[in-house]
Amino acid sequence: MASGVQPRSHAALPEVGRPAGLALRRLRRNRTALGFGALFVALVALALAAPLWAHIAGTTPSKNHLSDTVVVDGRTEQVVTSDGVPIAPTWQKKFFLGADTNGRDVAVRLLYGARNSLFIGIAAALITTVLAVLLGTLAGYFRGWTDAVISRSLDVLWAFPVLLLGVALGVSLALGGLKVGPLEISGDSKWIPTMIIAVVSVVYLARPIRGQVLSLREKEFVEAARAQGAGPLRIMFGELLPNLVSTILVFFALLVANAILLEAALSFLGAGVQPPEPSWGTMLADGIALLATSPHLTIVPGLMLVLTVLSLNIFGDGLRDALDPRGKVRPEHG
Amino acid sequence: MPGSLRGLICLSLASVAVSGLTACGGDDGDDDAVSDATNGGRTGGTITTAYTSFPDYLDPALSYTQEGWQSMWTVYTPLLTYKHEEGAEGATVVPGLAEAMPDISDDGRVYKLRLREGLTYSDGTDVKASDFEHTIKRVLNLQSGGSSFYQSIEGAERYIDDGRASADISGIETSDETGDITITLTEPDGRFPYILAMNFAAVVPGDTPFENQTKNPPPGVGPYKFDNVRINRGYDLVKVPAFDVRDQATGKLDTITVEVVKNRRRQTQDTIQNKIDYMHDPPAPDQLRDVRARYTGTRYEEFVTNSTYYYFLNHDVAPFDNAEAREAVNIAIDKRSLARLFGGLLEPGCNFLPPGMKGYEKVDPCPWGDPTAAPDVAKARQLVESSGTAGQAVTVFGNDEPEPRALAEYLSDVLNDIGYKARPRIIEASVYPTTIGNRKTRAQAGFASWFQDFPHPGNFMFLVDGDSIQPTNNQNFGNVNDPEINEILDAASRNADIEEVADEYARADRLTVEGAHVAAYGHRELTLFYSDRIDFENCTSWHPVYNLDLTQLCLK
Amino acid sequence: MGRFVVRRLVGMVVVMFAVSVLTFLIFNVIPNGDPADRMAGKNSTPAQIAAIEREWGFDEPLYEQYLTTMEKVASGDLVSYANQTNVVEEIKRGLPRTFALAIGAALLWFAMGTALGLYTAVRAGRWTDTLVTVLALIGISMPVFWLGALASYYLGFKAGLFPNGGYAEIGEAGVWEWVKHMILPWAVLATLFVGVYSRVLRANVLDTLNEDYVRTARAKGLTERRVMVHHVLRNSLIPIVTLWGLDFGMVLGGGAILTETVFDLQGVGQYFAESVGQLDVPPVLAVTLFGAFFIVLLNTLVDIAYAALDPRIRLSS
Repeated sequence: MASGVQPRSHAALPEVGRPAGLALRRLRRNRTALGFGALFVALVALALAAPLWAHIAGTTPSKNHLSDTVVVDGRTEQVVTSDGVPIAPTWQKKFFLGADTNGRDVAVRLLYGARNSLFIGIAAALITTVLAVLLGTLAGYFRGWTDAVISRSLDVLWAFPVLLLGVALGVSLALGGLKVGPLEISGDSKWIPTMIIAVVSVVYLARPIRGQVLSLREKEFVEAARAQGAGPLRIMFGELLPNLVSTILVFFALLVANAILLEAALSFLGAGVQPPEPSWGTMLADGIALLATSPHLTIVPGLMLVLTVLSLNIFGDGLRDALDPRGKVRPEHG
Repeated sequence: MPGSLRGLICLSLASVAVSGLTACGGDDGDDDAVSDATNGGRTGGTITTAYTSFPDYLDPALSYTQEGWQSMWTVYTPLLTYKHEEGAEGATVVPGLAEAMPDISDDGRVYKLRLREGLTYSDGTDVKASDFEHTIKRVLNLQSGGSSFYQSIEGAERYIDDGRASADISGIETSDETGDITITLTEPDGRFPYILAMNFAAVVPGDTPFENQTKNPPPGVGPYKFDNVRINRGYDLVKVPAFDVRDQATGKLDTITVEVVKNRRRQTQDTIQNKIDYMHDPPAPDQLRDVRARYTGTRYEEFVTNSTYYYFLNHDVAPFDNAEAREAVNIAIDKRSLARLFGGLLEPGCNFLPPGMKGYEKVDPCPWGDPTAAPDVAKARQLVESSGTAGQAVTVFGNDEPEPRALAEYLSDVLNDIGYKARPRIIEASVYPTTIGNRKTRAQAGFASWFQDFPHPGNFMFLVDGDSIQPTNNQNFGNVNDPEINEILDAASRNADIEEVADEYARADRLTVEGAHVAAYGHRELTLFYSDRIDFENCTSWHPVYNLDLTQLCLK
Repeated sequence: MGRFVVRRLVGMVVVMFAVSVLTFLIFNVIPNGDPADRMAGKNSTPAQIAAIEREWGFDEPLYEQYLTTMEKVASGDLVSYANQTNVVEEIKRGLPRTFALAIGAALLWFAMGTALGLYTAVRAGRWTDTLVTVLALIGISMPVFWLGALASYYLGFKAGLFPNGGYAEIGEAGVWEWVKHMILPWAVLATLFVGVYSRVLRANVLDTLNEDYVRTARAKGLTERRVMVHHVLRNSLIPIVTLWGLDFGMVLGGGAILTETVFDLQGVGQYFAESVGQLDVPPVLAVTLFGAFFIVLLNTLVDIAYAALDPRIRLSS
């Protein structure tokens, strides 16, 4: 499997990737993939529109309305009853999707949460991609001890139970923050879960990249560039990188989907996004304890999350069919 | 994850959920008799109770959680103990293994007690006076969370520094022949009778090793003994038929099996379906409404614990070094809202001392507005404005248990509403107290709560005592340092007669409220929920120290 | 071949060592609260904290602390900071539960994944292919704890079809009770993987169908059924079995932490979740090592099996 199941066998794999024109045509024919791709774009647009809906609902994502009332169908109702049960979806401007136990507007939090979840998903996937391409290319191009160091490090990462590593890091860093040289991240910053997810996912992409580079570097066009006196940097980024694009693209969609799920898992275990920032993961984690009286707190963010991840997965799946049928990210959030 | 970390019982309610009690016979109005097996309720039978987590330790020297204490009170008896009575009466200290209450010297430093005659442990061996010194040595030597209570005993600190388990504690003299026990303190400590009644001081045999005995708890003098201990899963409390000590309750049930069921929803469902006979923690939050509606008065009741929930406001750091700023917070918090965050299981209040505590005098009218009405937020905003602290950044601390987190988010929202730039900061529960209790953190404000160690107002008021401030592991999170309060507490703390000093504690309580030293908002209510098999009529009521007196539970 | 095996085993030890060092560092280098402070509790004095530091060796240099800890792991004497219970015993207690979950779920997802993968490959391009593909992808796209909580609540609590979480010992409650408790956790965990397997198998089958030897087989006039089973499926399954070995290793090693927690199975993963919530280093370290052991072990087994099948790999490495 190209995703690095069998690290030292990549060189033996047939070369993957298809010409861009063919790929595009194949993708265009895949209506399902395109449809879900559009859905994802719509979800991103919705997240961007969060302040608009907050304005319409007349509240903010962190505003508590514990002892307030709201008029629903002519009847005055408490946002949170005296025994702590929040109002169910009203399907009107205020509390469209109900309230949470702090009396906050779930619809508003859902949209702001979308921003955080998507931010983490996309930012983590970007960081992963950069790191993986860098490591994979260096290892594959230079071989020798560079490859040995990088590959062994990836072996260690690969051997780690990823979720366990993520949670351990998350809990620790949420407390102390992170300080590396001039870079200082506070413990409640959303960069913490972002970085963790990015780092633990590197191995998925770095190994296939390394494998591809190993075989590409023996190709004639690389030999030619080398003969013309091109340095390693030029070759790596000028010659090799363009040939890696299809692999990167395929993985990117899957990495975003995986990162969103990992964020939810980390949040469920208390190592994800920290208050007051909402995220789908934290909303879900809080909601599950109240399934009996307030199912909307579990079902609403859950559906939103599933829809987002599903749209990415289906689109990514279509992209993979079109470009490179072997990419895969292992589910690590069991 | 609910953790039974020692030392946390008073801060992280989630697991703690200190629970309820039963004292048979309390309902039928006989006041002086300590309930015993004869007054109401049948004897015999086996029940299963559910705890959310295994007690931190099954070793009296170490256990510092409600779960541990509740079970241990049936297995071990200290020299002094509490009445097996419901309500406030149960908070009365009475002789346990001692013949009578201690004879205290005039300077309040020397306590003379005598062991009852003919006492035996559950394994049949005799109880000796010297076992008491061994018991205290174990507490000190094992670095128990309770050791600080016993450091007022003369020579205790030297004993700890010495590091040898076998060394002597100069302040404890015992005679195995006469059963006399004499304890000398370095200075008078009004709480000491209560400290002698804590489970830490529950007498264990003199050959009990100096290590955690949870796997195989030492024998004690009590109506039950531990059996079939399955670490992290459960244990049995088995009746000791030979137990017979005058005035002490004997158990009604033959066996009480404690099962650890981590999922509260399952506990609730199993209790509803009579698979579990008593659950220690409140029903799962989303089943509370259902349980209340169906079982109140027949299988379910709520009671107010001796606890205080408050926000600490740091007097050493801006903006709450400013009295007006603190007043504004007290005015702006909506206690009705806060009660909702507990699913209604909070009695809103104005006092710092809980209503069940000696020295409680309701501060009425509350200077910050009626606790059961909407707050005057406009006035609070005005105060912030006039204090000159508007616009300052405030970090509101809370821990990651569900309620404390919601409470921190709530206060943060309120502060934003009255003119600050607030942001919650959630800390892992196990390190929360040491984090906010460390001067370097400079925590401005945040969640705090306290459940009594023993029913003495001094055990609450030390939280606002300026003399108790320390740079690390500080319990006075807000660094409250009011000379008048300090002076009152210092004087009152020397007197072992609680009736004489109750008024003084009431005064300190009132000063704490009026000075807006903290923002206190209420007292936690907890629940007792039983299966249909339990005799709710005759065997259910709560105990103010142990919440549920397991010795009094009985079947229909 | 012998040398290859030895080399892989040595590599395995090296990786385990690196994992242990890294985990140890995570908790000891990142400032996250002094364990001695926490152990001392709410009424502690500085003298008490110092005594705890001495007793537990927190005042020793880091590498010494690491060595002591690893020594304790090896001898089975490791105890938790939080409640001083024996960590190795706790893991042993959780093992049968984690194994029960992992083995059942792994068999289920392998069977389901293979069946769906084959079906979609055969139907490639038709609407049933699309439908099953989307369904499989929905499975991958759900947070397992969300699905688990919904299933446990609606099918377990509300409908009463299954127990509301928890684990039943076969010895105490009988086989049927045990199965009843495991059905939902198995199904939920398997749902996560079925999609992956069916997608991978589908792609493999489609690739294999184009191979020369399959065409040859067809040309020889073998029945379609025989071609599918003997040539296509057999060859397409090899990478799937590989994948399965690795995922199985991960789930065995506590990777099913969310499933275990949601269903309150009290396995090794849940033990980890509870310990990490209290920043309790010894169990976190031990469970991570334990998890890494299974992952590395299965990785190695898979590698060796591959090498045995395909000599090129031995040479290329």
